[in-house]
Amino acid sequence: MKIHVNDVPLDVAPGTSVIDAVFAAGYDVPYFCSQEYMSPIGACRMCLARVGAPRKDRATGEWILDEATGDAKIFWFPNPMATCTTQVMEGMVVDTLSKEVKRAQNGMVEFTLVNHPLDCPTCDKGGACELQDRAYEYGTGESRFVFDKRHQEKHHALSEAITLDRERCIHCKRCVRYFEEVPGDEVLDFIERGGHTYIGTLEDGLPSPFSGNITDICPVGALLDSTSRFRGRNWEYHHTDTTSLDDPSGAALRIDARTGRIERIKAGLNDEVNKTWIDDGTRFGHEYADHADRITLPMVRKDGRLEPVAWSEAMRVVRDKLGGVDGTKVGVAIRADATLEEGVAAQALAAHLGTGRLDHAPRPAASVLPGGAPATLRDVATSDGLLVLGDPTHEAAIVDLRIKDALKGVPPADLLPHGVPIADLRLTERMPRKTEILTVVAPYRTDLMKHAGRTVTPPAGGEGALLRALLALAHARTEAQGASDPGKAADAALAGWDDAVGMSAADAAALLDALAAAEAPVLIWGGFVSADPDADAAARALATAVGAKTLILGPMANAAGLERIGVLPSHERYAYDPASSEVRAWILGDLDPAQDPTVAKRFADLDALIVHAAFENATTALADVVLPAVTGYEKEGSTLNAEGRLLPVRAAPVEAGAATDFTGVVKAYGEAAGERLEGRSVRSARRVLKKRLDVDLAELPDDGRLLPPAPAAARGARALPARRAATGSALVVPSLVRIEHLDRNPTLLREHGGPTLRMHPSDAHAHGLTRGEVVTVPVGGIPRRLVVAPDDGVPEGTWLVPTLPDQPVGLHPLDLDALRRERGETAEVA
Amino acid sequence: MSGAVTDTVDRITSRRDPRFEVTLYAYVGVEGAHTLDAYLERGGYDAARRALAMEPGEVVDLVKASGLRGRGGAGFPAGVKWSFMPPPDGRDRYVVCNADESEPGSCKDRYLMEDDPHQLIEGMMIAGHAIQATTGVIYVRGEYHHAYERLRAAMEEARARGILGRGVLGTDVDFDLILHRGAGAYICGEETALMNSFEGLRANPRLKPPFPAQAGVYGRPTTINNVTTLASVVHVVAKGADWFAAMGTDDSKGIHHAQVSGAVARPGVFEVPLGITYREIIHDLAGGPVGPAKAFIPGGTSCPLLPFDDAHLDLPMEYAAMANAGTMMGTGGVIVIPQDQCIVDAMYNVVRFYAHESCGKCTPCREGVATWLPKMYQKLLAGLGTPEDVDLIEDMVKNLRGTAFCPLADAAAWPVQKSLELFRDEYEYLAHHGTPMYPAKDRWSA
Amino acid sequence: MIELQTARPFFEDKPELLQEILGRYPDYGRRSALMPLLWEVQRAERYVSEARIAEIADILDLTATEVRGVMSFYSTYHGEPVGRYHLQVCATLSCKLAGADQLTDYLEDTLGLVPGETDAEGRFSLQKVECLGSCTTAPVLQVNDTYYERVGRADVDALLAAMKEDVLPEPARVRAGDNERYGPAAPAGEEDA
Ligand SMILES: Cc1cc2nc3c(=O)[nH]c(=O)nc-3n(C[C@H](O)[C@H](O)[C@H](O)COP(=O)(O)O)c2cc1C
Ligand code: SF4
Ligand code: FES
Repeated sequence: MKIHVNDVPLDVAPGTSVIDAVFAAGYDVPYFCSQEYMSPIGACRMCLARVGAPRKDRATGEWILDEATGDAKIFWFPNPMATCTTQVMEGMVVDTLSKEVKRAQNGMVEFTLVNHPLDCPTCDKGGACELQDRAYEYGTGESRFVFDKRHQEKHHALSEAITLDRERCIHCKRCVRYFEEVPGDEVLDFIERGGHTYIGTLEDGLPSPFSGNITDICPVGALLDSTSRFRGRNWEYHHTDTTSLDDPSGAALRIDARTGRIERIKAGLNDEVNKTWIDDGTRFGHEYADHADRITLPMVRKDGRLEPVAWSEAMRVVRDKLGGVDGTKVGVAIRADATLEEGVAAQALAAHLGTGRLDHAPRPAASVLPGGAPATLRDVATSDGLLVLGDPTHEAAIVDLRIKDALKGVPPADLLPHGVPIADLRLTERMPRKTEILTVVAPYRTDLMKHAGRTVTPPAGGEGALLRALLALAHARTEAQGASDPGKAADAALAGWDDAVGMSAADAAALLDALAAAEAPVLIWGGFVSADPDADAAARALATAVGAKTLILGPMANAAGLERIGVLPSHERYAYDPASSEVRAWILGDLDPAQDPTVAKRFADLDALIVHAAFENATTALADVVLPAVTGYEKEGSTLNAEGRLLPVRAAPVEAGAATDFTGVVKAYGEAAGERLEGRSVRSARRVLKKRLDVDLAELPDDGRLLPPAPAAARGARALPARRAATGSALVVPSLVRIEHLDRNPTLLREHGGPTLRMHPSDAHAHGLTRGEVVTVPVGGIPRRLVVAPDDGVPEGTWLVPTLPDQPVGLHPLDLDALRRERGETAEVA
Repeated sequence: MSGAVTDTVDRITSRRDPRFEVTLYAYVGVEGAHTLDAYLERGGYDAARRALAMEPGEVVDLVKASGLRGRGGAGFPAGVKWSFMPPPDGRDRYVVCNADESEPGSCKDRYLMEDDPHQLIEGMMIAGHAIQATTGVIYVRGEYHHAYERLRAAMEEARARGILGRGVLGTDVDFDLILHRGAGAYICGEETALMNSFEGLRANPRLKPPFPAQAGVYGRPTTINNVTTLASVVHVVAKGADWFAAMGTDDSKGIHHAQVSGAVARPGVFEVPLGITYREIIHDLAGGPVGPAKAFIPGGTSCPLLPFDDAHLDLPMEYAAMANAGTMMGTGGVIVIPQDQCIVDAMYNVVRFYAHESCGKCTPCREGVATWLPKMYQKLLAGLGTPEDVDLIEDMVKNLRGTAFCPLADAAAWPVQKSLELFRDEYEYLAHHGTPMYPAKDRWSA
Repeated sequence: MIELQTARPFFEDKPELLQEILGRYPDYGRRSALMPLLWEVQRAERYVSEARIAEIADILDLTATEVRGVMSFYSTYHGEPVGRYHLQVCATLSCKLAGADQLTDYLEDTLGLVPGETDAEGRFSLQKVECLGSCTTAPVLQVNDTYYERVGRADVDALLAAMKEDVLPEPARVRAGDNERYGPAAPAGEEDA
């Protein structure tokens, strides 16, 4: 559509909002209530402009012409228009510069400031406040409002992690709309009306895994992240744009650090991945990085005690210790959220030592690399038939949000010259959701289920049986189509169906119909399926049978990447197993297997135990050498997210002493051993990766780059899983909150409560367990300290325990007889 | 039957014309007239029968030809509005009756619902048939308890006799009603806020487009009309478009109701042919002003006031004439303001009303109408104002005009603007002296 | 006295009422029942407590926050109990011009209450409200659900006396103006015009 913005002619797509047209033309219009990725509502009235358009003569259908000029005559709307809620029309003329517009803008700034306290000098948003900026640019600089302003609560804890200053709120409704439109959790609303309106909640805190995003989008300092309140001003922060290593979503982050510590984490923008949203675990879970007990120097055991030493000395000890061990008996394992560069370093070290016992952990039994047709997050967001197996909210939180995008049925907007549209008029408040396109399968009630048209609850560990049954049915139905009596054959196909898999035959048929009818079906699965190679095989076959793309959610941020570049054992029959008696020496990156007393016992007679860790733990307590590790916030490198997107990881300036990533370990080892190993620095690792992946990781754009899918042969499905566990009544479940860091994350701990042991209320009753009671119970050998949380969303006989890096998702034995009550200790259950 | 009325028609523009007959209000105030039996006895539901025998499009054309304009305030032609409904597509469609009547000065709908509920139900049936909706919603303001109970009883009677429900009046047309009660919020009279309220949401107005005809109640095609509009339809069908169009002026045809309050001898609701002059309404029907009057509000408080002088009293009750005079015909709620009433005090009362009723969605209304403007009036009335404050009010209402999300802010700003134009001397007197030109007096005379 | 609500859910023993209210609306419009449910609670208990909010949220599958957001938008639902006789004086223009200010003063003085207050006994609450849609019969006093129109001093006295005896008298329904049968006759001399 051809329009004019002031003097600039422009051709824009029909449906574009006038505000976006103005920005596309290179002009500015102030706004408060509009927000990328959310519905425009026209509430703040800050974006007013004069708008006119030509008209057609009703009778002739011709444009009415201006007699003087002979051009189409412009009919101006009598009132200024909110550009965010006005659509462009052919021939439209927009004026953002005239005296009338200026007057309207001055007026709106003045109204907006009527009740705003102007306490900028003490406000965390000062210097990064949309209101401050806009008032400066578009206000008159003086206020004629001489009365007392509205007095309201200034430090209201909406939740443990979010503080609300009600006086500063300008009622843009971004936060309220956000909850309804993005995560679909209506936990915040306007209360009262008119001049008394304020935002509030009656829920306990803000029960949504995505609550923190409101602190990013609040245009003023009304909603603040409590982890950073009063910690610094915006201009004092050092900003690092990086990628979250919290889960395999690959969400963009901005880390704000000051004087060597992280003050807060905000969402970054990646239109293809997380848009501008991150989950609360990722946002509020950073306090541990600054915790007092960080290991900042290498330590060597002397007379039974760990003593701090220089890197060079520590590495001499390492060299000497390993020198006495048969190279093939050394085990090297790094955690599955290590960067690709660290993976290369680990590979180089293993090769140098001559061992094939290399792995990343946790690594499920089945490959986490997709097969033939990998789905991107955009594919998820535009799918019209989604089958989800698992708990994406907790496995890869952004996937949860992209699934919810799909339910709106509005495909991602095209980017404009200024980026994401400010006011996408296809989005509206309280849009109807197409829940019928979503089926969620999980052995307990998951967060996502309340948005699903169809939910299926197989028995824990029963995904394989269900998928095989679905696959068989799909095949039978295909064959039935060719039969002489297709209807009868289809019925016959259903006849053998066994409801025990968790769904009825009719539901199964309806699900397959829905997937078959969908134009762009996507199958998503996570740890429960990957824990069982048979389930995985059936899932892949089912995807092929229904023509669906697949998205697999690995156990940690870079599990797919490390598998892809082959940080894997070279023996068919080997997998990371800290309890193995064949290994005489271990080099462990960020893993803590000695939480399991059996492993701890084994470790006592190792020839060498070298641990790279950020915090002391059960394993460092036994180590001969402890090397200080950086956290995921302090690494330089790259990661591969679940959809196969290479993303840059950048280091925030955090004071962590002599800590390094795993490339640093390899560098120091090489120096001690007199070898220049590949992967001894990020640069050197990238040279290797460039050859292998044909991508220069130093040149990755901020929003990453999709890596073409791996050839089937590159998939690491052949190796054994680490201590494959398939039985037991403890179902270890994914957790969006990283349990291993929770004790050192006070805000998140208060917000989330401690790690829970969830069971059906009748099981709690049968075992005399009460809500909030703290217990310690061995789960798969690891004594877990957990808060009892009866939950009728858990099937009877199943006990849910959140995962740890050393305790992967899936079934594990649970020793209820050894359950110990922590006397008198209780905790809040979120 | 739907023959167009030409300009040469000798129109009824006064209640004194012997051809004029009280119609919609014929049974208001008549004991026992509200029951179904009484209604049927006087020919009730005959019009519905007649309409149901017509094609929906014919009913729409008939109403178009009658020239009936919405009586909720804005005066949009009812038949034209009905014709905006998209063709049926199998989804539910709704006809909604706006019975939220909350504009100060207005009370015509209440009596229609209390004393002649079946007339409204019949009107809704006809409208429902015209737009092919099988469900009607009557949204009654929460305070109208008596009206609610009368409507509820009437609906039950009608259902029991097959007048509402499946196959109404023995036809194959289904039609039923949902009666819904508000809870004290003027903004629910705004049609999109009403729909939100009905759906159990906060009653903020919605964006338009989409208009109700595209996406109204529950996102379904919806037509919304005022009580009086819908009741009028019964008589348009019963007596013909020509009968209706013969009353009034070219611009404004048919019957309306002057609801006269304030300083008049005989306040009340008067059914009138449009085109009647305000002089007739105020002097003849309402018994004339009690004591000298200085202004009158022609159609509810959102309509700017007019000076109480010959030129303005002689204006016809008509949409166009009022627009030309810089105000609106609105709902027809006429309020006469006595000479000895301080205009600043009176306007503060109006401003306070809109301040109380602002929904809070948009900034100018929430911060201007609901917060700042009443404070300015309080300051003046407390004797603390200055002449600059008067200028500030004037400037502020300019910023409020046409900038808010919905017309509520205009409803507050425009009357203030006009009061400043007409009675600036009173504002300035108050600002200078700290006391009003006309001190408060006891008006509780009854 | 104000009865304290018990822990028992309000609608527990009223399944028919609940079903009737839910049944008024189409399946896809279940949320429409929110206002009627609030109204039932308000009428019975003269306010809506947080426990009732939670109960209604549960019935309609909403969050309590949403229910509170809606409830607090309207001026006739209360978060605190009001008296058994809730006196609401219309304070808007037509009533003001008919003496609403003085009517309010009179009620304040007689009851010893300031608008917004409830007496110690829980019998009377006094409130100023906005236009009740009874402008032509001003001034209007609404007591609970009943309008008393064109109230004079004597009417108020009689009304208060009755309410002290726990009687709410039938109101005289004034139908002024339209039909000359009602209201004062037109002043002489106007008729023949
Ligand atoms: C702030 C505001 C309040 C309104 N209040 C009412 C009302 O109380 N009753 C009414 O019928 N229309 C009211 N309206 C007009 C309605 O929005 C709508 O135009 C009307 O119900 C349409 O019916 P009609 O075409 O039959 O008049 C109001 C409009 C606005 C902007
Ligand atoms: S708290 Fe912030 S985001 Fe929410 S309405 Fe107020 S200003 Fe907007
Ligand atoms: S009205 Fe707020 S951005 Fe347009």
